[in-house]
Amino acid sequence: MTPCAVTTGFFTLGKCGQMAVAGCPGCGRALCADHIAEGGLCPECAASRNQFGHPASAAAYRRRRYRHSSSSAYQDTLWYTSFDAFDRAAFDPHAGADQDYLDDGDDALVDS
Amino acid sequence: MTGHRGHRAAYIAFDRFPSAKGSAVHIRHMAAELFERYRGGLLCVLGGPDLPAYQREGDVEIVRFTEVVPNLLDRAQAFSAWVAEQLAPYHDTLELCHVRDPWSALPALGTGARLVYEANGLPSIELPYAWPHVAPTTLDKVRELEGHCLTAAGAVVVPSYVIKEAVTARGVEPDRVVLIPNGADPVPADLPRPAAAPGRYLIYVGAVQPWQGVDVLLRAFARLADLPDLTLVICSSVAPSRTRRLRGLAERLDLRTHWEHMLPHDEVAAWLTHAELSVAPLTATPRNLEQGCSPIKVWESMAAGTAVVASDLPVIREVLGDCGRLVPPDRPAELARAIRVLLEYPDLGRELGERSRGRVRGWQHARDQLSGVYDRVTAH
Ligand SMILES: [Zn+2]
Ligand SMILES: [Zn+2]
Repeated sequence: MTPCAVTTGFFTLGKCGQMAVAGCPGCGRALCADHIAEGGLCPECAASRNQFGHPASAAAYRRRRYRHSSSSAYQDTLWYTSFDAFDRAAFDPHAGADQDYLDDGDDALVDS
Repeated sequence: MTGHRGHRAAYIAFDRFPSAKGSAVHIRHMAAELFERYRGGLLCVLGGPDLPAYQREGDVEIVRFTEVVPNLLDRAQAFSAWVAEQLAPYHDTLELCHVRDPWSALPALGTGARLVYEANGLPSIELPYAWPHVAPTTLDKVRELEGHCLTAAGAVVVPSYVIKEAVTARGVEPDRVVLIPNGADPVPADLPRPAAAPGRYLIYVGAVQPWQGVDVLLRAFARLADLPDLTLVICSSVAPSRTRRLRGLAERLDLRTHWEHMLPHDEVAAWLTHAELSVAPLTATPRNLEQGCSPIKVWESMAAGTAVVASDLPVIREVLGDCGRLVPPDRPAELARAIRVLLEYPDLGRELGERSRGRVRGWQHARDQLSGVYDRVTAH
């Protein structure tokens, strides 16, 4: 039996593991009956296509949209315009504290 | 995302989730309360290796921000814009957003839903530790942004009195700030000893930033070299690459140490249970003194019935009360002496452990308090 390779769980993640009945045409992973989403895709591929048409265009889409959406997406985006190049330079990767001590990357902003 | 059903609630955090860190335990329980109340919802968090960009778990949809943006402030900005897009389909149905940081609060405020801001830390205080070149003028802007988000929230939830004061100093009316201490669920008494555990050991659990004081603990442990068969176990919540320097220090000091990295949360309890003592050597930095924290490792040590030796800081007093041994921060000799006394009088340690087990409240208690906050915020 080929087990379903979709990641499941909330706090503890694992593979679904139910018997696969198909493969995702997008990424090829094995899918059980419960995890076949629209178009026969895995949930992840289906979600990214629904939103962006094609996964590869997602990042570009987001950047483009961001630049054109200062008022449409949400009003408060204006807050970020107060941070100029000088403010931002302090947050370049090489400006971080000793890498050995930095927290694990992305969530180093706040760690309780 | 799939949008076939309108979410009524969203939990948004500029944190990787799940992860081995204490913040993930917190998110787990707070988000569970939110999603139980609204029969599902949308969780927007940071992605990472092995974390899918999209998951559906029953009525909960999980979306993870996966774009690589090297500059932290640019990344926060891109995250805010991404969150705004995730929330856009639900403007008509969203009733409540729960956030942990300003980067999440900004797009949440744009939805018109009620906002609960859970302030476990404040970037204007925290940022300079990881980003030493940040200018005071930049921090002023961050502080202003924080104030904007905190004052716009229907309620601000904090884990300690210390941070409550920092939040009210940013203009939030005190009666809108609600103290909800962290919890820790009781640890079963018969948890088997981890196979890799050395005979007798002290334990440190957590991350390794300088303000955690792990180097102070290593220097203290060097003064206990005469104690036979005693090992120091460091359960790091971050990757081995981040502990390289501390492991180097341990080697130079010729210490008996055992390192575990990024243990799954459910394995940490067994390590805590079988330790002689748990040590929380936080340093006396403004980060710990003014912003505070509510170190989940201390709560979890208490729940495991293991005596805690910790730095004498207001945030620690709040948690431990008289159920632990407090020592002056940043003083290896004093820390070593306190550890030695507790090891020499094991009855004392056992008694502290038993009392601290009784002092801890389970997460359900914190969830019930949060539920009361949701009642209040959505009532008017
Ligand atoms: Zn796929
Ligand atoms: Zn499956």
